[in-house]
Amino acid sequence: MNDTPITRRESIKKIAKLSAGIAAASGLSLSASSKNILAAETAPIAENVSKQAANGAWLIDGLGSAPGFSIRDLTRRMFAQAGGMEKFISKGDIVVIKPNISWAQPPHLAVTTNPDVMMAVIELCQEAGAKSVRIVDHTIHDARRCFGVTGAGDVAKKTGADLVHPRQSLMKDINLKGKRLDAWPVLTPIVEADKVINLPIAKVHGLSGLTLGMKNWIGAVGGRRNALHQDIHQSIVDLAQFFRPTLTLIDAVRVLAANGPSGGREEDVRVLNRLILSNDPVAIDARAALLFNKKPEDIGHIRLAHQQGLGHIDLNAVRQVQVTV
Amino acid sequence: MKVGKLIWLRRISQVFFLCLFIYLLFVTRLPQDIYLDYSLTFTDAPDVRLEQPVTFFWQINPLAWITTVLATHQWVTGFAWAIGLLALTLVLGRFFCGFICPLGTLHHMASSIKPALKGSALAAANRQKPDRMIKYFFLTVICVAAFFGLNLSGLLDPLSLLFRSLALAVFPALGNALNGFFEILARSDIKIINLLGYSSEVLVAPLFGYETIAFQTGWFIGILFLLILFLNRIRPRFWCRVLCPLGALLGICSKYSLLRLKKVDEKCTHCGICTRNCQGAASCEPGTPWQSPECLLCLNCQELCPEDALTFKLNRPLPMRGPARFDSGRRVVLTGLMAGLSIPFLGKLDGITHRSPSPQLIRPPGSLPENDFLDRCQRCGLCMKVCPTNAIHPAFAEAGMAGFWTPNLIMTLGYCEYTCTLCGSVCPTGAIADITSEVKTKTPIRIGSAYIDRGRCIPWSGNGSCIMCEEVCPTSPKAIHLKDDFVINPEKEMVPVKLPYINLKQCVGCGICETKCPVRGKPAIRVISAGETRDPDNQILL
Repeated sequence: MNDTPITRRESIKKIAKLSAGIAAASGLSLSASSKNILAAETAPIAENVSKQAANGAWLIDGLGSAPGFSIRDLTRRMFAQAGGMEKFISKGDIVVIKPNISWAQPPHLAVTTNPDVMMAVIELCQEAGAKSVRIVDHTIHDARRCFGVTGAGDVAKKTGADLVHPRQSLMKDINLKGKRLDAWPVLTPIVEADKVINLPIAKVHGLSGLTLGMKNWIGAVGGRRNALHQDIHQSIVDLAQFFRPTLTLIDAVRVLAANGPSGGREEDVRVLNRLILSNDPVAIDARAALLFNKKPEDIGHIRLAHQQGLGHIDLNAVRQVQVTV
Repeated sequence: MKVGKLIWLRRISQVFFLCLFIYLLFVTRLPQDIYLDYSLTFTDAPDVRLEQPVTFFWQINPLAWITTVLATHQWVTGFAWAIGLLALTLVLGRFFCGFICPLGTLHHMASSIKPALKGSALAAANRQKPDRMIKYFFLTVICVAAFFGLNLSGLLDPLSLLFRSLALAVFPALGNALNGFFEILARSDIKIINLLGYSSEVLVAPLFGYETIAFQTGWFIGILFLLILFLNRIRPRFWCRVLCPLGALLGICSKYSLLRLKKVDEKCTHCGICTRNCQGAASCEPGTPWQSPECLLCLNCQELCPEDALTFKLNRPLPMRGPARFDSGRRVVLTGLMAGLSIPFLGKLDGITHRSPSPQLIRPPGSLPENDFLDRCQRCGLCMKVCPTNAIHPAFAEAGMAGFWTPNLIMTLGYCEYTCTLCGSVCPTGAIADITSEVKTKTPIRIGSAYIDRGRCIPWSGNGSCIMCEEVCPTSPKAIHLKDDFVINPEKEMVPVKLPYINLKQCVGCGICETKCPVRGKPAIRVISAGETRDPDNQILL
């Protein structure tokens, strides 16, 4: 990647060209070793090309290495690397962004999706011609306070995105056809959307180990979701096979390394300055697990999701690209 | 003259203050669209505050001021308006009742629009009755009880009563009904009805919110309110004439008010128009002595008198005529004294305040110690209305007789949100201190503590895994920690589970664990008041 200071427009162009080249070479990949990835600031490495050809799964690792780097810039470069938002969002689409804004805690405590990331993604959707962008999450704390305190409300105001209050009238019983879950109240804006972008934050969690991309779908349903914890991993996988997002972008700019998922202390926050973007909901969770020095196989729902064929737990099977700013 | 310009002025003023009251009532809530600048939130957790002066009607309320001063034995601040209103009453009389009081306006409307009484029956109802002294009795009881440590004013104060009735009964019932109706529409599969259902977002939600609201004893508050309105059919403005303690206080102040009704007896034809339209039963007809403490200053008599026999003029008060009234007055004061003296002590006989705090009585964060709390609380319901999670409810039995309808958190219905401090910010008398989130979370202000009912808890009872309480626990480090263990399930197999334990040093009693516990009915984790910051005796740990 280009590390010299250039304008955003230029960089996007360059990245677009570069990514076209990468695509032609049928992709580049990075080893699954977490050490390797955490240390890597170099251009993507080609590996396991034969394995990747079989599936269209790809994963882009974003790292902000420069001090005071722009999250917006990083997000934009990553999407450019993925082929541009236009590749995923068509003109006139109704796009739902599903962040994790469950807790009324300010963004620096790394409990909720970083508002800068959310803003950058919404802007990209709007530039790609989305008819409307909706921020949807069934929060745990009072939704109004969550909107206000996490910065989601501010993002909505600045970008003109709709902030959907998770109310009873928007819940509709839908058969999830899962192994464990059948009819369950679902937030209708998510199922009615043309495109869905999952935008979780990476955090530790008492029962599921980590809360990453797939677990974020617990925030898309209503009803007795506090009972889901009685079989959390299968429940997450059932939800993940129902909600198939167009893309998942995991916010690991600041992550919660302890006392998750509610957080509340700055001591528990680790600044990783990372974002992960993928079209494979399992691979991205597996990749994010490595950030916490956990083996993806040890996280029940990642393993289960792989077994049920929702994606790849083995990162070698996924085309990987690194973007650094 | 007969157009009644002054009557129109009064009506405009009445409608204005009634609308203002209802407006301020509606905005006593967390707005649907609170947008904060999140760049600020990076430095600290922000305190959400309401922009509108929702306590306005308590700041101008002399009864709230006097009872708070009497009860706390301190010069409480923030009531300059109330003192000004009392001073103005000394000059103008009960203009508050005629021009401002929103409950008075409702009574005025209820008794004037489709009146139950007409003609001579109305005239008879509007003659002075001895039961008008009841309100002085109530005032005496309230003031004496306040002096001895129990502020009861909120039970009968018209502003608190109206706010409580509207906020905790009338509007929630209305909002729930409307929300329910639109929800039925929204669930329809017929597209056009479905779309109509979503129009509630424009029509209902901005006023009533999205959630179904609940209030303990709400039905009782509502029925009492309807009953009080119904009294207008017995006599116009029955409440204002007979029951209202604020009216009594203002009546005492207006006994020698300078604005007086001047009667020209020679002009009077005794047509009875003035008496039929008199709102306060103040004997406005010439030939009888005008009762300034009863006059609500509605100005009907002056404006409607066809002979111009009645005019309000600034005048030196004449000595009161009419003997034998003071006798009953003395009796009223004496019985009021007796009742006022006994109620605080009888009310606190249950020992909640002095011997053993009620475990179910969980006061909002920042509440004063129980005795100081009862000195100040107006039972107005502002904190209950503003609470975003609908956790604060009017107490029924939790606070004993002394604390009836004072705020109490019911964790099965809502929980205290960790960084929220809205209730204290709207408390008109400071019974709940106006604390910041930083004070609340860093001190920390505890409102109770949680305990686990292992027999009901899903993992403890061997019924499966669950960590709901641990997940939602907002403190850092969490007050609920998990221990990996094995339990025997009903099939006699060893099942690995994470068992929740409570760290009482961390627990603030917010109750989110109880609210979110999947065990319904009686949750497996519950909060009791022990451990609350405000009471050094109600503690568990050393």
